[in-house]
Amino acid sequence: MNIRCARPSDLMNMQHCNLLCLPENYQMKYYFYHGLSWPQLSYVAEDEKGHIVGYVLAKMEEDGEDNRHGHITSLAVKRSHRRLGLAQKLMNQASLAMVECFQAKYVSLHVRKSNRAALNLYTNSLGFKILEIEPKYYADGEDAYSMMRDLSAFAADTPEVTENSDVKSDNIVVLPTRE
Amino acid sequence: MPHSNSLPPKENALFKRILRCYEHKQYKNGLKFAKQILSNPKFAEHGETLAMKGLTLNCLGRKDEAYEYVRRGLRNDLKSPRSDKKYDEAIKCYRNALKWEKENIQILRDLSLLQIQMRDLEGYKDTRYQLFILRPTQRASWIGFAMSYHLLGDYEIANSILDAYRTNQMKGPYDYEHSELLLYQNMVLAESGQYDRALQHLHKFQSQILDKLSIKETSGEYYLKLKRFKDAEAVYEDLLKRNPENVMYYQKLVEAKQLSDPDEKVAFYDVYKKEYPRAIAPRRLQLTEACLPAFESLVDEYLRHGLHKGIPPLFMDLRSLYADQSKADTIEKLIEQYMDCLSKSGTFGPKADEVKQPASALLWTYYFAAQHYDYKQDTDRALKYIDAAIDHTPTLIELYIVKGRIYKHAGDPVRAYGWLEEAQAMDTADRYVNSKCARYMLRAGHVQRAEDMCAKFTREGVPATENLNEMQCMWFQTEAAAAYQRLKQWGEALKKAHEVDRHFSEIMEDQFDFHSYCMRKMTLRSYVGLLRLEDVLRAHPFYFRCARVAIQVYLRLYAHPLQDVPQTQEPDTG
Repeated sequence: MNIRCARPSDLMNMQHCNLLCLPENYQMKYYFYHGLSWPQLSYVAEDEKGHIVGYVLAKMEEDGEDNRHGHITSLAVKRSHRRLGLAQKLMNQASLAMVECFQAKYVSLHVRKSNRAALNLYTNSLGFKILEIEPKYYADGEDAYSMMRDLSAFAADTPEVTENSDVKSDNIVVLPTRE
Repeated sequence: MPHSNSLPPKENALFKRILRCYEHKQYKNGLKFAKQILSNPKFAEHGETLAMKGLTLNCLGRKDEAYEYVRRGLRNDLKSPRSDKKYDEAIKCYRNALKWEKENIQILRDLSLLQIQMRDLEGYKDTRYQLFILRPTQRASWIGFAMSYHLLGDYEIANSILDAYRTNQMKGPYDYEHSELLLYQNMVLAESGQYDRALQHLHKFQSQILDKLSIKETSGEYYLKLKRFKDAEAVYEDLLKRNPENVMYYQKLVEAKQLSDPDEKVAFYDVYKKEYPRAIAPRRLQLTEACLPAFESLVDEYLRHGLHKGIPPLFMDLRSLYADQSKADTIEKLIEQYMDCLSKSGTFGPKADEVKQPASALLWTYYFAAQHYDYKQDTDRALKYIDAAIDHTPTLIELYIVKGRIYKHAGDPVRAYGWLEEAQAMDTADRYVNSKCARYMLRAGHVQRAEDMCAKFTREGVPATENLNEMQCMWFQTEAAAAYQRLKQWGEALKKAHEVDRHFSEIMEDQFDFHSYCMRKMTLRSYVGLLRLEDVLRAHPFYFRCARVAIQVYLRLYAHPLQDVPQTQEPDTG
C-alpha cells in the first residue's frame, strides 16, 4: 500500500473507487474541480498494481479570511482494504496540506447519522467533534452530523505529527468474533 | 445532465434538417429551420441551434452576426456529441470574424480557448501573442503567452516570459497563487532538463513557496538526477517523517544510498521499521527485498502480526510475493503450521513459550489459507478452508465474498454470485458488497438482476441504469456491455459501449472551462497535468474494454447481418 498526493491522472480512478464504495457520487467535472483548484489536498492509497483502494477528496471553504477551513468532500476505503488505518493516514496527510498551503484553522465534514463506523473513526481516531445535526442533508432524506476538527496541532509545524498522533486502528469493520 | 439540452422530437427533426442544409450548402433553408426552433421561447437559447445558425451565417458572409451566434451557442452548450467538428468550425468562424476586427480581445480570448481545446498549439501561441501585445498589463496575458511556449517545448522562452513577469509585476505579499506560479516556472525548468538551474530556482524562492511537499519531492528528484546523493538522502529522510507510508520515498532513498545488495536493503528497512513502528510500508517492502532463508523469519513475523490483529487484506497484500515460488512455498508451510498449532494449542507455533492467540487468529488463518489455495487453483482445498472459516464465524461477510471468488475462479459464475448475494444480504448498507454482487451477476449473465441490485443505491424515482449513466458509472456499463455481448444481444451491447464512449467525450469537454479557470487560479502544474491526461484519455482501461466489445460486435454484425429484424434497437451514434 502506498499513500501519496493525488495527481490529475488519478481523478478518474478516484471516481471509480467512489462509485464502488459510496452512495454519494459526482461527475468527473467535480473531481477535476477539486484537483485543479486545490491540487495539494486530495490523497490516494494505491495497491502494488497502482489500483486505487482509498482516497480523500478535499477542498477549501473560502468564506472569509478569518474562517479559512478545509472540507472533506468524500473519503472512501474499499471494504477489501479496511483495518490498515488507511482512512486515518489519508486524512492526516490532507489536513497537513490544508494548513501548510491554505492556513486552514480547522477541517469540516458531513457524515450520515447511521454510519456509526465512520462516526467512530472521526471522533475516536481523528479528534472530530460534532457541531450540529443537519436535517435531511442527504438526497434520501437522512440527517447528517456536521463535524469539525481543529488543526492547530498541524500548524505547530511538526511534520512528525502524522506519525506521532495517537493512532488507533480504524474500526470501520467491527469484527464479529467468537471468543 | 449530459443531454439536458436535447430537444423534443419535433424540434430535433428541425435541427437535423439544419445540419443537412449546412452540409448541402442550403444556407437560406438552414436559417429558416433555425428560426423555427429559436422563435419558440423555450428553445430561444438552445446552444447547438444558436451555434449552427452562427456557422450558417458565417458561410453566407454575415461575419459579425455569425460570430455572435457561435459565441452564444458555445456559451450555452458545450456538451454535444459533435463537439470536435463544432470546435473546428467555430475556430474558422472566429478567424473570419478577426479579419474584420483584428484586435477584438473577446474574440481572441475565445479563439485561444478553442485552440487549446483542439490542441492547435501553433495557433494558440499566435493568439496568445496577440493577446499579450494588446493587453500587456494583464496577468493572464503573460501566463497564457508563457504557457503556449511551454506546451510547444520551447522552455527557454517560456521561462524568460515567466521571469520577466515576476520581476516586473510581483510585489508582495506572496500568496498561494504566487507560490503556484513559482512552482510552475520550476516545472518548466525541470522539463527543459536543466536540473541544476531548477534546483537553484527552487532554493532561491523556497521561502515564497507554500507547498512544502512539492519543494521536497522535486528537490529530491533533482538531487538524484544530479547524483548529489547525500543531499537526496537528507530530503527523502525528511519526507518519510512526513509520510512513512509513501513507497516511492523508500525507493528513492535506496537509490540515494546506492544500495544494491539484497542484504543491505533488508538492513535498510530494519532501520525504518524501528523508526516508524506503525508504518506498514517498510515492513512490507522488506519482504520484497529479502531472500531465503532471511525471508522466512520476516514473513513469519508479518503473518503473525496480521493474523493476530485480523487484517482482512493480508493475503492481497502479500500476493505479489508469489511470483517467487520459494516465497510462496514458505508462506504455505507457515500457514499450514499455524492452522495445525492454533487448532491444537491456540498458538502459532509448537514451542512451549508461544503466546496464546485469540480465537479469531484461527479464523483469519483459515481465511488466508482459502485465498492461498484459490490462488494456486486448488479449488478443493480452498473450499475446505473457507468452509472451516464459515463454520468458525458464520457472521463474517468477507468469508462469503471469498467463497464466491473461489467459485468464480473455478469457472462457476452462477454459484459465485449466489455467495455474493449471501454476503450482500448480511450488510445491505455497504455499497462495496452491493457493487461486487452486481458485478458477479453480470458475469453470470443476469443483467436485470444486476440492475435491481444496483438500484438499492441509486436515486429513487429514476431507473438505476439512468442514474448510473448520469453518474458516469463505467464499471457497470463496461461489464453490462460484455454481458450483453455474451448473451448475443448485440444492440444492447452496443448501446452500453456507446454510453461509455459518450462519457469519454464528456470528459474531454470538461476541460473546456478549466482553460481559463486554471489561469486565474494559477494551478498551472495541475492544469498541464490535465491537458496531458486528456491527450491520452481514451487509453483508459474502461474505454479499451468497451471499444473491444463494440469492435467485436460490429465485426460480427458485418459478417452476419441481422435479417428480418426491422426494429433493432440500434443507438443513435450520430
